[in-house]
Amino acid sequence: MRLILTSLFFICLFGCNKSQTEDVINFDEEASQESGGTLTNAMIGEPNNLIAMIAGDGASSAIAGQIFNSLLKYDENLEFEGDLAKSWEVSEDYKTIKFNLKTQKKWSDDQPITCKDVLFTWKAVTHPDTRTPYGSDYQLVSSAECINDYQFIAKYNEPYAPALETWASLHILPEHLLKDEDINNTFFSLNPVGSNYFALDSWVTGQQLKLKANPNAIHGKPLIENKVSRIIPDLSSQFMELIAGNIDLMSINPIQYSRVFPNRSELNNKINLYKEMGNGYTYFGFNLNKKPFDDINIRKAISYAIDRQEIIDGVLLGLGEEITSPYKPGTYWENKNIKKLSFNPQKAKELLEKSGYHLNNNIYEKDGIPLSFEILTNQNKQREMTAVLIQRRLQDIGIDVSIRVIEWASFVNRFIKTGEFQAVVLGWSLSLDPDQYSIWHSSQQGPGQFNFIGYSNKTVDDLLEKGRRELNKEKRKAIYDEFSSILYEDQPIVYLYAGYGLSAIHKKIKGVKKLSPPAGIYHNDYEWFVPTKFRRNEMSL
Amino acid sequence: MKKIIKNPLALAGLIIILLIAILALFASYLSPYDPNYIDIQSILVSPNKQHIMGTDALGRDVFSRMLHGAQISLLVGIVAVGISTLIGIVLGSIAGFYRGITDTLIMRLVDVMLSIPSFFLILAVIAFLTPSIWNIMIVIGLTSWMGVTRLVRAEFLSLKERDFILAAETIGASDLRIILTHLLPNSLGPIIVSTVLGVASAVLIESGLSFLGLGVQAPTASWGNILTDGKEYIQFAWWLSLFPGLAILITVLGYNLLGEGLRDNFDQNT
Repeated sequence: MRLILTSLFFICLFGCNKSQTEDVINFDEEASQESGGTLTNAMIGEPNNLIAMIAGDGASSAIAGQIFNSLLKYDENLEFEGDLAKSWEVSEDYKTIKFNLKTQKKWSDDQPITCKDVLFTWKAVTHPDTRTPYGSDYQLVSSAECINDYQFIAKYNEPYAPALETWASLHILPEHLLKDEDINNTFFSLNPVGSNYFALDSWVTGQQLKLKANPNAIHGKPLIENKVSRIIPDLSSQFMELIAGNIDLMSINPIQYSRVFPNRSELNNKINLYKEMGNGYTYFGFNLNKKPFDDINIRKAISYAIDRQEIIDGVLLGLGEEITSPYKPGTYWENKNIKKLSFNPQKAKELLEKSGYHLNNNIYEKDGIPLSFEILTNQNKQREMTAVLIQRRLQDIGIDVSIRVIEWASFVNRFIKTGEFQAVVLGWSLSLDPDQYSIWHSSQQGPGQFNFIGYSNKTVDDLLEKGRRELNKEKRKAIYDEFSSILYEDQPIVYLYAGYGLSAIHKKIKGVKKLSPPAGIYHNDYEWFVPTKFRRNEMSL
Repeated sequence: MKKIIKNPLALAGLIIILLIAILALFASYLSPYDPNYIDIQSILVSPNKQHIMGTDALGRDVFSRMLHGAQISLLVGIVAVGISTLIGIVLGSIAGFYRGITDTLIMRLVDVMLSIPSFFLILAVIAFLTPSIWNIMIVIGLTSWMGVTRLVRAEFLSLKERDFILAAETIGASDLRIILTHLLPNSLGPIIVSTVLGVASAVLIESGLSFLGLGVQAPTASWGNILTDGKEYIQFAWWLSLFPGLAILITVLGYNLLGEGLRDNFDQNT
C-alpha cells in the first residue's frame, strides 16, 4: 500500500507538474490589437529619484523616460521628431531655435502643458543650486523666453550643433507643482506627474514599481495598461524569473542567447530572442601621462598584438563587431574609410624593437626596465575575460601584464579620478550625436572628467570645437571623419568590440517588430499588447 | 595518533586532508592541461573524457584549475593560520604568564577585535591593499588570532598554579624557559585543535574573498574564482558551480572532522 502511495506521489510530482507548464499554450498564435494587460520587467537597481536631471542613474532615467516627455525625440530611424513640440525652426545663423508646442495637451493631473513649463524646466536645470551633472549643455543657452503659451525660444551666443540633441534629452517638468519646491529634495521625485505614456501607480521600496497607462498621454494612451518593474539585483536570478514566466522580458548575455536557448525547446516555445546593434563599445585604454604609453609605437605594438576577433569569438561568442570609430556601426557618423589594424604579432615586435626594446628572458626591456604593466577593470565578467585574453596575447610577444578587478565605486574614485592607473578595459556608450568633446578634448582632463586617459592633440581639439559649431550635416560628417581618422592613427585606446544588444521577450507580448529599427527594439513599446487569452497568472503580481 | 585511527570521523577527516594535500602538491604533474591555457574553440564544454570536469567560459580545463586552486586553498590555510597561531601564542603567553596590566590590555584588545565582524574587517582591509594571495594570507592571519590568545592564556592560568611550575620557579628557571619548556608543551592540545579548525575557516574566507572578486586575481585559479565564474552560467554549466562548491565543502568538512576528533581526544586526556 505504502509503495503504491509513494509511487502515486512521484507520478504526481512529475506528471502533474508537467500538465501545469505552459507547453500546451501556443503563443505563436496571431491576435488582434487590444488594450489592457500587464507587462513585467526587471531592473538591477532601484531608481532613487524620478526627476532624471537630478538622479543621473540608469534605473531612474529608464522609469522617468516613460513618465516625462522632452521637446523633441528620436523617431525609429534616429531622426528628430516632435515630442512636446509640434515643430521647430533653427535660424539662419544657427543661434536661435524656436519651438512650437502642441496645444491642448495636459499633465496627468489634468492641468494644461504650456511654454511656462518648458521655461521653468530650463531655469531649473541651469540654476546654480540645482545639483545636476547635465547643467553645462543648457547654460550655453544665453537667453530663453516664451512668446506666448505655445512658443518657446532658446538663443545661443554661438552656434551649438548638439543643441537639438540636448532638447531631446531634457524632461519637461510641470511648473504648477514644482515652482515652490526645492527641486533637489522634493516629494515630487517619488510621486511624479508627467505627460508620457505612463504614470506612477505604486512603488514598494526594494520590490517593485508599478506604472499605469496615462489617459492624458500626449501621444495617446498606450495599449498596455500596467507596467511592473521588479527590482532583482542579480542577473542570474532575473534569468530564472524569465524562464519561470514571472518576468516578460530582459536583456540577456551571449551565453544565454547562443548556448542556453538553442538547447531548450520549451523556452523557444514561449520566448522570442532579438539581436540588434548595441549602444556601447569596449576599449583598452592607456594612461597617456605614464611611461611607456606616451610612445605611439608602444601603443601601436600593443594594438597589433591584440586579436580582436578572438575576443569577439571568445567573450561574445561572435555576437559583436569590431569598430574603428567611436560611432555606432551602420549609422551615418560611422567612419567606414578607416583601415583596420589587423592582428600581427610580428609587426608588434618590430615596433617594440624600433622603440629601443630588446628581449631578455622572453620579456621586452629597455634600459634594464622590463615592459610590464597592470590592466584595471571593474567587476564585469565580459571585461575581465577580455583582460585575460589580452594578457595572454601580450605575454606571447613578451609583455608582462597583470590584471586587477575592482568594484566600480573604488575603481572610479581611487584610480580613474586620481589618474593612478596604467591601462584599463572599459566601455563608452555610442551616442547619437557625433560630438565627443567631453571624452577627447584636452581641456576635459580634470578629476571626474571623462578624458581621464590624458589625450591631448591640438588638431583633434580644433576639430571637436569646429564640429560643435557646424550645423550642416555633410560638413559635420567631414569634420568627425577627420577626427576619427586621427584618433585611430594615434591609438590612445585600442577599440575592442561593440557587442550586440540581446533581448528575450515573452511571446505573449505582441506587436514587437521582428526587424528592430535603428532606434532599437523597445522603440515602439507603446504599440505592444498582451491578448486577453494569454493574460493568465497576472493576479499573482 | 592511535586514538585518531580509532575515531572513524577524525580518521575520515585526516584522510580527506591528506588526499587534498597530495593532489595540491602534485597539481603540476596531475593536471592534464595548463590551468591558464585558453581554448576559445571549446567554451563551456560539459564534463567528458578530455575534460573530466568540463571547461569554463574561456575554454580552460576546470579539472586542472581545480587542482591548482587546491594549492591556493592549502597555502592560504596554512600560512594564514601559521601567522594567527604565532601571534596568538605570543600574546596569550604574555597575558597568561605575567597577568596584571599587560593581561588586561591584551585581553581588552582581544575583546575589541572580536567585537568587529571579522569577514567585514578583512573585506575593508583588502579593499585598500593590492589584492594578492600574500596580502590575503597576512590579513586573514592578522585578524584571526584572538581565539588562540584566549586559549593559551586560559591554559597558562590553570597550569601556573600547578606544583611543577612552582618547582621550576624555585630552582630559578627563567620566565622564557618556564614558558617554552613547561607551560607551552602542556597547552599544545587545545592549540592544535584550534589550528586545525582555523585552517577550515581560512579556506572559507579565501573562497569568499575570491568569490567577491577581492581575492586571488585573474587568471590565477582559486576555488572561489571558479565558483563566481560559474554563478553566471548556473542554469546551463552546472559543473562550474558544482565542483568548486563540493571541493570547498569537503575540505572544510575534513578539517572540521579532524579538529573535532582531536578535541574529543584531548578532552578525554584531561
